[in-house]
Amino acid sequence: MIYTVAKTMNLEIKDLTLRLHLKKPAGGYINVVDSIDLNVKGGEIAAVVGESGSGKSLLGLSILRLNPPGVSEIVSGSVKIKCLGEKDELDIIKLYPKDLPSVRGRLISMVFQDPNTSLNPVIKIGEQITEAIFAHEKRDKSEAKEIAISYLNRMNVDGRARFNSYPHELSGGMRQRVMIAMAMVLNPCFLIADEPTTALDVTTSLQVLNLIEKIRFESGLGVIFVTHDLSIAKNISDKVYVFYAGQVMECGKTEEVIDNPLHPYTVSLIKSIPSLSKDYMPGQKLFAIPGYLARDDFTPGKCRFYSRCFKKDKDCLQSIPLNDITRERSLRCIKV
Amino acid sequence: MEKEIILKISNLSKHYNYYKSVLDIKRDAIKAVDNVTFSVIKNEIFAVVGETGCGKSTLSKLIAGLIGKTSGNIYYYGELLDYGDKKKNFRKKIQMVFQDPYSSLNPKKKIYKIISYPAVKNDIIKKRDRLDFSVSLLKNVGLGEEIIYSYPHELSGGQRQRVSIARSLSVNPELLILDEPVSALDMSISAQILNLLMDLKGKGKISYIFITHDLKLVRHIADRVCVMYNGKIMEISPSPDFFNTPAHPYSNVLYNSILSYDFKKGLNFINLNENNKKSTEVNKEKEKAGGCTYFKRCYASKEICKENEPPLEDIGHDRMTSCFFPFTHPNL
Repeated sequence: MIYTVAKTMNLEIKDLTLRLHLKKPAGGYINVVDSIDLNVKGGEIAAVVGESGSGKSLLGLSILRLNPPGVSEIVSGSVKIKCLGEKDELDIIKLYPKDLPSVRGRLISMVFQDPNTSLNPVIKIGEQITEAIFAHEKRDKSEAKEIAISYLNRMNVDGRARFNSYPHELSGGMRQRVMIAMAMVLNPCFLIADEPTTALDVTTSLQVLNLIEKIRFESGLGVIFVTHDLSIAKNISDKVYVFYAGQVMECGKTEEVIDNPLHPYTVSLIKSIPSLSKDYMPGQKLFAIPGYLARDDFTPGKCRFYSRCFKKDKDCLQSIPLNDITRERSLRCIKV
Repeated sequence: MEKEIILKISNLSKHYNYYKSVLDIKRDAIKAVDNVTFSVIKNEIFAVVGETGCGKSTLSKLIAGLIGKTSGNIYYYGELLDYGDKKKNFRKKIQMVFQDPYSSLNPKKKIYKIISYPAVKNDIIKKRDRLDFSVSLLKNVGLGEEIIYSYPHELSGGQRQRVSIARSLSVNPELLILDEPVSALDMSISAQILNLLMDLKGKGKISYIFITHDLKLVRHIADRVCVMYNGKIMEISPSPDFFNTPAHPYSNVLYNSILSYDFKKGLNFINLNENNKKSTEVNKEKEKAGGCTYFKRCYASKEICKENEPPLEDIGHDRMTSCFFPFTHPNL
């Protein structure tokens, strides 16, 4: 029921460009996020997959305009968000800074990568959660406590027992679940999860993934799931955006992109991971992408994957547009 | 062919003592590694898997001689090894590659100095030969000679990890301990490192102890798998058998929590509450005397597991497991 209503919610990023100014000796700037188009509906999980340094975390931050001030600026683009209970569409990029806190946490919230550093070690977790409630809503202390406990319980943390715990008393997986509870406590429409399972063990990371899946079904949450692991993207997301050097190389439905990759980067990425299928022979040579993601790859005027590509050609030395192949799938390559 | 045992570990333990309060006279011990017995065969990759805090890093430090043991013995080709051992000839045969290439290289030294230092120290080469020596080692790990005058910060993560491997290869080790060598790297870079390790193994006499938490890598690279939990060995199996039928319930849980890109696992959020009851933290608290360490989380536990500790027993096909009810049916 909620699920069908949720589909009217929409987060649409159009042509978002984040410019990073480089320090003095090198000078100049690079576009770490370069005209990104991304679209998530309520109840949908969109995975953003890419290597470290490809700008996927900065994309997550710039959606909430949390990008580091001074060194970076959003040059162009719009982040339009339409939520339940809101009359109009809201463009986050055009908002005044004083209006931003009412959006952050209430309409879109974020879960960060490392639960060990993103909780305040000297404040009890219950207090940290209720703090978020008081910042947005007028409520009694006891009322806020009840809300916090109910959300902790939903995240499979024993809320009443853990309300007065300090972060160091919890295990890593539990801390990450507290982080998700904190992000969910104002019932936002969208969640940006920035590598929420990277710092966790396999068994605990599976629990966190299960949890995100559960709240997605229960409350029709739209999730942007930033990860570097294709296996996680395959198992949790509905659509996937393959990121390289600040650009979307390929996007589409998860099954289509991962089972039938088209862009040379996606192809080589998938070949470089050991498979678990029965007909895969262990011990065979993996396909390794030569070189590494360098700062030169961000220079405009050529394909950003040019230096590492196995299909490269003279024609690739021009800026390549993101073309739609089918209605739901786009590709940034002219060699396919 | 006779299998030559390169490293034999018998009843090895490492306990860390701690006091509950300042006035506490009775001390408690965290059993980081508890009564571990196994052996590594020549030219094989022996993978150690387990969750954070299960003692796999402590085990690797014990073997490399970086910390002292509490009890038990480590034999290298039948010779007893100990912490602070002066027998250089044996020590240099066991080398270690650390998890984080960003912190395990000295940032103030140039690459050729980093690589050749162990060899100079062990009188393998003269100091004046170290440039040529470094170039030949770098070639072994697939790097060019143009980086020998660079500093570590000028290299990428993958290059740095290769330099660490080159450094550990400089003294011709026969056993290489790899402590999560690729978990700090991107997947495209980690494929380069894995290929390199397989090549080195194919060339000759080297054996690996490969410590990891990623079972996909284990299936790809390892010959035998050892599963650890709470300082104890749960299972030792040849890799193909392990991935057909994980014998220990804990191995089964680990196996079922791997996600892969080539199949979609229905994430079942219904079972979550059940999981929560059996706390998922590796339990550091002192267990009741006797009883299986995995008892609290185990889904196959019976009354007998509470009272008696299952010994590490042979269940045929070169497999050992410490469980009273090991699985024998193939996993689907």
